[in-house]
Amino acid sequence: MRGFEYASPTTKEQAVSLLGSSDDDAMALAGGTDLLSLMKDDIVAPRRLVNLKDVAELRGIRLLPDGSLRIGALVTVQELLDNAIVKRGYASLIHAADGITSPQIRAMGTVGGDLCQRPRCWYYRAGFGLLAKDKDGAALVPEGDNRYHAILGNTGPAYFVNPSSLAPALIALGAKLHIFGSGGQVEMNLENFFAAPTSANEKEYRLKPNEIVTEIIVPSAGGWKNATYEVRQKESLDWPLAAASVALKMSGKTIESARVVLGHVAPVPWRSGEAQAYLAGKTISEQVAETAGTLAVARASAMSHNGYKIQLARVAVKRAIMKAAQGGQR
Amino acid sequence: MAVGQNVLRKEGVEKLTGAARYIDDIALEGMLYGKTIRSPLARGLIKSISFDTDFDWSPITVCDWRDIPGENFVALIENDQPLLVARDVRHAEEPILLIAAESRTLVEEAASRIRIEYEELTPVLSIEESLDCREIIYGDDNVFKRFLIARGEVDEGINQGDLIIEGCYRVPHQEQLYIEPQGMIAIPTDTGMTVLGSMQCPYYVHKALKQLFNLSDEQAVVIQTMTGGGFGGKEEYPSMIACHAALLAHKAQRPVKIIYDRAEDIAATTKRHPGVIRHRTAVTRDGRLTASEIDIVLDGGAYVTLTPVVLSRAAIHALGPYRCENVRITARAVATNTPPNGAFRGFGAPQVAFAYEMQMEKIALRLGIDPLELRRINMLKEGDITATGQQLRWSVGSEDVLNAAVERSHFREKQEAIQIERASGDSRKRRGVGLSFFFHGAGFTGSGEAKMKARAGIEITDQGRARVLSSSTEIGQGTQTIFCQIVADELGIGFDDVEIEETDTSRVPDSGPTVASRTCMVVGRVIQLAAREIKEKIKRFAAELFGAPEIDLMEGRFVEGGKVLASFAEVAREYAAQNGKLKVESQYASPMGVEWDDDSYSGDAYPAFSWGAEVAEVEVDMDTFEVSVLKITTAQDIGRAIHPLLAAGQIEGGTLQAVGYGLTEELVWDQGRIVNRMLTNYIIPTSMDAPDMETVIVEKEYPHGPFGAKGVGELPMDGAAPAIAAAVLNATGAFVSEIPVTPERLMMIHEGTRRESNED
Repeated sequence: MRGFEYASPTTKEQAVSLLGSSDDDAMALAGGTDLLSLMKDDIVAPRRLVNLKDVAELRGIRLLPDGSLRIGALVTVQELLDNAIVKRGYASLIHAADGITSPQIRAMGTVGGDLCQRPRCWYYRAGFGLLAKDKDGAALVPEGDNRYHAILGNTGPAYFVNPSSLAPALIALGAKLHIFGSGGQVEMNLENFFAAPTSANEKEYRLKPNEIVTEIIVPSAGGWKNATYEVRQKESLDWPLAAASVALKMSGKTIESARVVLGHVAPVPWRSGEAQAYLAGKTISEQVAETAGTLAVARASAMSHNGYKIQLARVAVKRAIMKAAQGGQR
Repeated sequence: MAVGQNVLRKEGVEKLTGAARYIDDIALEGMLYGKTIRSPLARGLIKSISFDTDFDWSPITVCDWRDIPGENFVALIENDQPLLVARDVRHAEEPILLIAAESRTLVEEAASRIRIEYEELTPVLSIEESLDCREIIYGDDNVFKRFLIARGEVDEGINQGDLIIEGCYRVPHQEQLYIEPQGMIAIPTDTGMTVLGSMQCPYYVHKALKQLFNLSDEQAVVIQTMTGGGFGGKEEYPSMIACHAALLAHKAQRPVKIIYDRAEDIAATTKRHPGVIRHRTAVTRDGRLTASEIDIVLDGGAYVTLTPVVLSRAAIHALGPYRCENVRITARAVATNTPPNGAFRGFGAPQVAFAYEMQMEKIALRLGIDPLELRRINMLKEGDITATGQQLRWSVGSEDVLNAAVERSHFREKQEAIQIERASGDSRKRRGVGLSFFFHGAGFTGSGEAKMKARAGIEITDQGRARVLSSSTEIGQGTQTIFCQIVADELGIGFDDVEIEETDTSRVPDSGPTVASRTCMVVGRVIQLAAREIKEKIKRFAAELFGAPEIDLMEGRFVEGGKVLASFAEVAREYAAQNGKLKVESQYASPMGVEWDDDSYSGDAYPAFSWGAEVAEVEVDMDTFEVSVLKITTAQDIGRAIHPLLAAGQIEGGTLQAVGYGLTEELVWDQGRIVNRMLTNYIIPTSMDAPDMETVIVEKEYPHGPFGAKGVGELPMDGAAPAIAAAVLNATGAFVSEIPVTPERLMMIHEGTRRESNED
């Protein structure tokens, strides 16, 4: 790790003023569970770290007057898991947070950090850049070892998968995001926060180097059955191979409308329009869930080594729907 | 009595309270931090090395191969591996330059200012590429070593069989993944060089250091610091790092520390040898093996290192714990342009164990014989003869372990329950139960121990305590504790009155390396003999002192006729006053009648075998193909368990390491470099992935081991991968001939999209 300057502001205004025009100037530090390992591996080397942990207004979970839930960006994964309101109404979020199985990461890692963590793509982590190109500019992933790479939205130039555990659940729940920068506060749908980069100097999410995520607003999930299902290779300290979060607005036994979001299968959390359209008006059954799963991966395409992920994604959608139907019990 | 009791481990409190100091906890006055500059290429020639002229190099110590005073090699078997590349790069991550500076930051900065130009050559990156000899990188045919084990008449045996069954099995690299990465500090002294660090074998490092600077035994001093795991990974590689640190320290005339971080450790150091193992077995319809032809090819990596010894153990264990009169085992190790593969718990045996056990599963399947029954029909028992012609004369727990594993796991009942469940409809979660049966030779192979002549001793301290002198290292497995237990009981004093001398080559004799499941059985025996001699001497002295010819030493007291005459400490002090320090050193001698012929590769391969049987229960998700190991029941005959809890710990830990070998651990290579050099993508089972384990220790005493003990270190590594694969077969019908059984691989096999090479 290279030397860096450390700043510890107490307001978001100060924080933003300490950030710069590029990641080389400065980067924001929350839990640090991802950023510090990126620095140790020399993937990023900011001259200054701006510690956000003393910015009190970024903390806390509370209900807003309209019944929606405000989650501060600095809320840790463990705080999320322990929160009574979240436990009561947002099963899918609990499932997703529960999948972050390392106690250390739960204790340090934050909700904002989960959304802004960088991809686990091993080419990226080995210094080949986010778009993983060799020295002649050729893409390494399509013919390389892509067992963990994208099966949807993988026409290039990005082939990695979005690593966020919470984003699929939050998007399925209709969450919005507040971003603070020199121009003040901006609100956007969380879904729009993520975008596959088209060039090497873009990230996979829309946050300028001098902006920070301040809070996440999740609408009330009353009347929505919701659940997350993850397929994983081991029980701890690892990211899922594929995951799906669903939120189903119920009208009696009928699904009025559905949101289906897949994680770890595309450069962004992947909203499946096909599965959503199909589910509207259906009564939940094993067969319906199966078909929704099949539709969710209908446009998936395997690269040389990741065909099995299509099966995993299909199963994840099916099981997330069945889990939601059973009341989201774990 | 201490033996057989779960006494507190000697270094336990130190480790538990954080007082234990590992190599990276040690900082010395004026110490520099060293770093290794490595090749990114798998094969090539160095054309030029340039140092950025805009950078101030004055505070940086730089060494290249020309700084090596003598010959440029790491002293091992063939001495073919250079300490630093002069021109020819033979594997990725091969060391080229060493640099050191006062801070890690400065060293990193300096490293980024070095440019090395190469001429690229075509690398040989797999066993297949090595065997096809399009590129020759070693000798005439890329083969490091060959072995042949032949017994009986294979052609005749094949004629006697009703059926010939063939199988081809593939096993992967595996990373040792000790908790503490490799690290050393070298300190130049007035007379020579002292090295401290994390290691299994101080005298290997000692030999390398003496060779490097042409030092005498006394001028080179090697001290083992508290070591956070080894698993074989700290058998040979520490010699390399020690020499690197010493080269820098010699040039700078200051202490130099080199610590690898996890990524460097995974990328650059040794791995378990991958291999391809083919079986061709003739069997009768009632399940008897009449002939077995086995061909083993291991990938040795770029240099010979310990490969011939690994290959030898693989060949000797290749038939498994089974009787067969007609055997032909051919074994080859080939060169590739990958980092040298080396010692790893099991040392060739886990590779062949997966193959021989899956071959037994295949035979059972083809013959329609129950897999347990097939094992019973063919298992080696006392009096039987192994593939090398060794008659098993003692301590053969084969039937006992198999019975224990089957009974304790309720194997039969589970088999039946699964059949009933299967018949009642297709569940998306399927259970399966599988079994493995295996053995592991304890101690060095063949004439190894006879040549090594391990030495260890005991001295009586001024306080009248017994101190064990041995270079066998404590690497987490309990060496210090069991040695003290052995001495306490043999001598007749309390466990707390025995201590261990620091593992420092200037203070302890060469007990041989801490490897090969030999520490307890071989070195423990030498220590027992030393204790016996001490006891004789001090008893004779006490008998004269008290005029009590019938005197005996029990529980730290000299007694005669039920009367306590003196404490051990009192007599010991008196002995020292009259005769000087009481110190005894003993040497290992092979038991009578244990003979091995290196030329014909036949005879008594090991003085004793440890035996194991294991039952794995799995649940397979038939949609995602995730395999959960629900329970492992393992019964292992290790002779007398000196410390039952530590022995069970060895068994559980080794079994879990083998679960990783079978299910998740897979190194991903790109042009000869390891891509997944982090714990987030090299996946080992964590405590949360650990199945329930039930461990049964069977104690078939070995007459020439201390209190009947054999070896336990490696046996547990052999059984889990095949037991899990057998359980997966039972659950899904998918025959796995390659590990790890990742969900992806299992799905491919299940869907038949991947043609199994053994079905050819």
